[in-house]
Amino acid sequence: MTTLQVLPQTPMGIALVLASLLSTVVGLFIGYQAYRGFRRNHSTPMRFLSLGLLLLATSYGLAFTGTMLLRQGTIPLQYQNPIRLGVRLVQLTGLSCILYSLYRRP
Amino acid sequence: MSEDSELTAVLSVLNDEYARGILTATSQEPMSAKKLSEYCDASLPTIYRRIEELQECGLLAERTRPDPDGNHYSVYTARLERFAVDLSDGEWAATVERTDAAEDDPADRLTRMWEEL
Repeated sequence: MTTLQVLPQTPMGIALVLASLLSTVVGLFIGYQAYRGFRRNHSTPMRFLSLGLLLLATSYGLAFTGTMLLRQGTIPLQYQNPIRLGVRLVQLTGLSCILYSLYRRP
Repeated sequence: MSEDSELTAVLSVLNDEYARGILTATSQEPMSAKKLSEYCDASLPTIYRRIEELQECGLLAERTRPDPDGNHYSVYTARLERFAVDLSDGEWAATVERTDAAEDDPADRLTRMWEEL
């Protein structure tokens, strides 16, 4: 299967891809502002918030890439569940970082 | 001869190397008086004097940050964006463009917001 055949042709498919891409971009941008906040203010909570947010944004990207590669056949289907698990673990790590930043006072 | 009072006040403040140094540093990131004293290689009283002069001209903003003990200390950010001098028909005029006092870097706003949770 070529990449072109894998790209969604239906409006719903296109909307899904766009939403995933935008989520990743917006998430990365917020994470970037949090990282700037850490650098400008030397704030430890912000360090972990930015790490957590960047991990969450990355998980969107990973989920999206994984789905595309699986559909394309580049990755065999038996890896579908491991990939899902991987994405969830990245999300869990990100959320844990954010939780930690709430309790870690500057 | 007609001179703008803001012109002379701002020119006088900017004429000082330490005041300029303070603005240079704080235009990049918020800094405490102590850090500014190290950055400018000036004594703390000198820095505090310049800070006061800069604040009088509305060129420096002050915010508080918590320190590890829970106490608060002040950090300063530059508000000066542009300073222009016009001379026309015997009249001097100064244009001072400042960052809005309420508006600040989104990264700093996020930091304050998050730390206060």
